[in-house]
Amino acid sequence: MSKKGVEAALVRGVDILNEFLPLKSWLYFPVLYSACVWAVRRVFDYRERVLAWQVWLDPEFVRTKPDEFVLHFFSGDEALGREYADELARGDLRTLRAAFPALYPIFGLEDAFLKALFKTEIESADYRGIVVEFAARTAKARDDIQPAASNPDFWKAVELFGMEAASLGLHLIKDEEVQNMIIALVKKPVGISPAIPPDA
Amino acid sequence: MKRKLFPVAALALVFVLSGACLPHLRKAKQFYAEGQDQARVFRTEAAVASWKRAVDEAERECHRKPSAQAFTIKGLAETNLGRWREAEASFLKAFSLGFEPGEAWASDAALTGLAASFEELDLEAPALRIYAQLLDKSAFKPVLMTAAEKRTNLVLARALSSDPEEKARTLTALLKTLDRLLDRDFACGLYHYLHAQVDGHIGDLRRSYEEAVIARELGLPSEKISRDNDNQLIFCYDKLKETLPAAESKAFASAHSGWTKKWGWRDARTPAWKKE
Repeated sequence: MSKKGVEAALVRGVDILNEFLPLKSWLYFPVLYSACVWAVRRVFDYRERVLAWQVWLDPEFVRTKPDEFVLHFFSGDEALGREYADELARGDLRTLRAAFPALYPIFGLEDAFLKALFKTEIESADYRGIVVEFAARTAKARDDIQPAASNPDFWKAVELFGMEAASLGLHLIKDEEVQNMIIALVKKPVGISPAIPPDA
Repeated sequence: MKRKLFPVAALALVFVLSGACLPHLRKAKQFYAEGQDQARVFRTEAAVASWKRAVDEAERECHRKPSAQAFTIKGLAETNLGRWREAEASFLKAFSLGFEPGEAWASDAALTGLAASFEELDLEAPALRIYAQLLDKSAFKPVLMTAAEKRTNLVLARALSSDPEEKARTLTALLKTLDRLLDRDFACGLYHYLHAQVDGHIGDLRRSYEEAVIARELGLPSEKISRDNDNQLIFCYDKLKETLPAAESKAFASAHSGWTKKWGWRDARTPAWKKE
């Protein structure tokens, strides 16, 4: 495995995104990271995979869960259970149900793009921050990625990047390390926090 | 040297030309079948690409040599792409060229497209009526699956805000509809998944667990549904373990462990796709 090789591939990934998503550097991290996740699993239908987060926002799907399932989701996750301990104790389903559509796709369905999009909040255990930001940030991501997403060349480039990174031994590097490598690269040229969009 | 190269070049030329001369219909069928295979393993994007190519090839065949078969393949691929209007036109053409079920399929595709439009406009009541009618009358599986999923989601969303009596009535009726679908096609994983969801709502967790197991074994149409089904299994497992009598609970845990081993889960509560 060549860690430097992977890093070089990631640099090229940032260059690619810089070309297709100019001035949208906050989107580089989630796109590159989810491309890496799928590359490691040898799944190469990037367009569908990277954009799957849009499908997982589907309100039909998430909003019809019974109360017991919602309660089980919060109490079954250690960190969420701690954060929402008061609501769980007093059975405040109104608050829990309001938070569920934001937190279930991230912690229940484990969408790589959404996890990257809210990395800052996940790391600082700011789960309520995710709930507050969720609608605005995902809507902004959807709007900002749209022009590039409809360009087949963009997906070809992302796929090439993913395949290159995978062939260089991406799967042997810890997830956390890959995330940090991407963040370091994205931070370099633009100097903003990668996971937070402007005006989110 | 030139002499040696000639047979190779000629052979390559014959090969290329034979490929180019492959009937469009055969290619259309091939792409359609590839799309089905890719969809089964959740390679949705690849499946979509294959179905689009199937539509292109079938269209060429329809221009060159119109036939019921070519229009049917085109309609089927369009159905999978959610292009209901185009599918309706293709099936009607297929009917006019002798494909008997084409007329009914065209009507079902048209109605599904109409219901989807109502839903987009937030007109749930007419959408629900159309989906209910399709579930009663249609014999066209892609339409049935779409209608079953859409109707279940709409009814569950409504049930959440209903009073308990009304909710019980609505969900019982919904279960009857799903049971009828299962009587007609027990091997459809999606119907079992939907059944498991409704069972979860009415608190029949044992049945919900069983249905989710069957759904997983039979396969589900998308990765998001597959993951949600796994979460339903974990939810039912936790709840049943708490509520079942000790001996039964032990037997249940052992059966669950057998399934999860088969599925490659890390433990009773951690599917392979979950982060450690």
